[in-house]
Amino acid sequence: MSAASSSVNPTRGGAAVEAIDLRKAFGPIRAVDGIDLAFEPGRIYGFLGPNGSGKTTLIRLLAGLARPTSGEARILGTRMPDRPILGKVGYMPQSEALYPDLSVGENIGFFATLQGARGEAAIDRALDLVELGERKGTPVLELSGGMRRRLSLAITLVHEPPVVFLDEPTVGVDPALRVQFWSHFRQLADAGTTILVASHVMDEADRCDELVFIRSGRVLARGTGDELRAKAATDNLETAFLQFAGLDDQGRPLASDGQAAAGTVAE
Amino acid sequence: MSPRRVAAVARRIAEGFRRDRRSLGLLLVAPLAVVALLGWVLRDQQQASVEILVVNDAGPVGDRIVAALKDASNQANDGTGIGTADSRDAAVAALRNGQADLALILPSTLLTDVAAGQSPVITVISEGTNPAAESGAFASLQGLLRTLAGSLAPPGATAPVVPTIQRETVYLSPDADQLDVLAPVFLGLFAYFFVFVLTGISFLRERVGGTLERLLATPVTRGEIVLGYSIGFSIFATLQVLILTLYVLGRVDVPAIGPIGAFTLGLGVVTAGSPILAFAVALLLAVGAVNLGIFLSTFARTELQIVQFIPIVIVPQILLGGVFWSIDRLPTVLQAIAHVLPVTYAVDALREVMLKGSDLATTAVQTDLLVLAGIAVVFVLLAAFTIKREVA
Repeated sequence: MSAASSSVNPTRGGAAVEAIDLRKAFGPIRAVDGIDLAFEPGRIYGFLGPNGSGKTTLIRLLAGLARPTSGEARILGTRMPDRPILGKVGYMPQSEALYPDLSVGENIGFFATLQGARGEAAIDRALDLVELGERKGTPVLELSGGMRRRLSLAITLVHEPPVVFLDEPTVGVDPALRVQFWSHFRQLADAGTTILVASHVMDEADRCDELVFIRSGRVLARGTGDELRAKAATDNLETAFLQFAGLDDQGRPLASDGQAAAGTVAE
Repeated sequence: MSPRRVAAVARRIAEGFRRDRRSLGLLLVAPLAVVALLGWVLRDQQQASVEILVVNDAGPVGDRIVAALKDASNQANDGTGIGTADSRDAAVAALRNGQADLALILPSTLLTDVAAGQSPVITVISEGTNPAAESGAFASLQGLLRTLAGSLAPPGATAPVVPTIQRETVYLSPDADQLDVLAPVFLGLFAYFFVFVLTGISFLRERVGGTLERLLATPVTRGEIVLGYSIGFSIFATLQVLILTLYVLGRVDVPAIGPIGAFTLGLGVVTAGSPILAFAVALLLAVGAVNLGIFLSTFARTELQIVQFIPIVIVPQILLGGVFWSIDRLPTVLQAIAHVLPVTYAVDALREVMLKGSDLATTAVQTDLLVLAGIAVVFVLLAAFTIKREVA
């Protein structure tokens, strides 16, 4: 795991993805509440936070699937939402998002065309990668949950996008496959792909180059796993998260002002 | 607008259909079954026998009328039976228990009225709960009465000559039945309603299943999605209209084979105009239906809720669109509503073309096509707006 360049690039010059004072409100609920982040090419970033913390909304804003209430999201320098730039983006939604009546090949073929991938070779390569090459003619209806997850990932990566958003990619995926997924993510990152992963599984966090702790639509802390643990004086990321969130190890609010712990540890 | 992406969306719809046998059946077989059933019901109806009871209070002249009625019904041989009852009460009792369909009361003043040059009043009593059947029975009674005008002449006077009425029509033939008028309309209606329900469900699945989210994370535009959907469903609407047109216009007599008796396939409706123009009308209506389905799917969260749109969206269109009742006869308020429904214009255009033989040079057909195209454009815009709303 590379911990060499330790922090999110503050200069924004070569950033693949940026959030600039990004905000999104649904009525009175502030799902994303003023987030400033920049993500460099060729690295894996993990968004960690409990359900309802705003991870998915943040990813949807960054990917241009939702319009921010204020602020800006940029991909490769282009302000989102922007349709043409989406050909350079891979997005794996949290839900299955497949056509159950269609076969594996028809599903990936359809999205490959829309995403701008050309040729059957790209499709075969993506399917082989997730070990579904033999299943091309099988209707999705007949696939197991894990296989559907794999197909979903293959669709996300079929057009070899330089920027990839993964919303809880390993939910319902068995441990062996999960290791494969992550080793593949690492290969992509080494080849220059920017990967942003939302997760609430802390044990996946150490596979990321950098982590962003999110709670109530705000960034609690960011840095490498080691930096965050050192800052919180614990060897457990979960405890670190709770501490940054101002909660004790039972998840109860601390007596002292928890906000004091929030901030950027990477500075 | 990328043709590749539009084609991909259309192909996706077609591939989904190919594997979804039930929807395919709903689209292609169900309308055929309904039209065939309708044809069977309307064409091969049992000749209902009409039992008429005469209550004769008029004396000998009444006896002559009864005898003449019996003669006339024997000659007509249409299953009308003439009987007599002793009193009005007995006749009403027979109507109550279903032994008779009509009671005819010949008044005691019959002869004196005729002698005085006054028109005598003959009372006809019917059961009253089935107006349609009773008006049929009433029509056969009137037919009989026309032929016996002579027996009502005062004794000694010469019987008046009753002219025979020969019917002709401008369009179709006098023998045309309800089916000849309904069948052309059904060509368009089925495509409209089935396509509406299927697109509604299909698009709802896109939203609920998350595939719309995945679509919106690609460079595909709203216009491409709407166009792809329209083309994809139009392929199947075309197939449906084609099959229905063949069945409605065609007619094949199948001879008896073994235990199966002889039967007729197809309705053999005669079209006066171009089937291709009728087909174009049906297709234009179906494109509107695709986009109406996309638009209304926003207001549903489950497939059941799409089905719940049927009584709200579809039934009023059948009632007001001029399918069964002419729009001119609707109350003013309902007429105004009818004039914004696409079905109204499609029904009119289909009848103009298939019954009256109108073509594109006819103002009525031009107006209908123009309005249908306009409504389709409005639905396309609404559908595109719906998809935009997804990017909230």
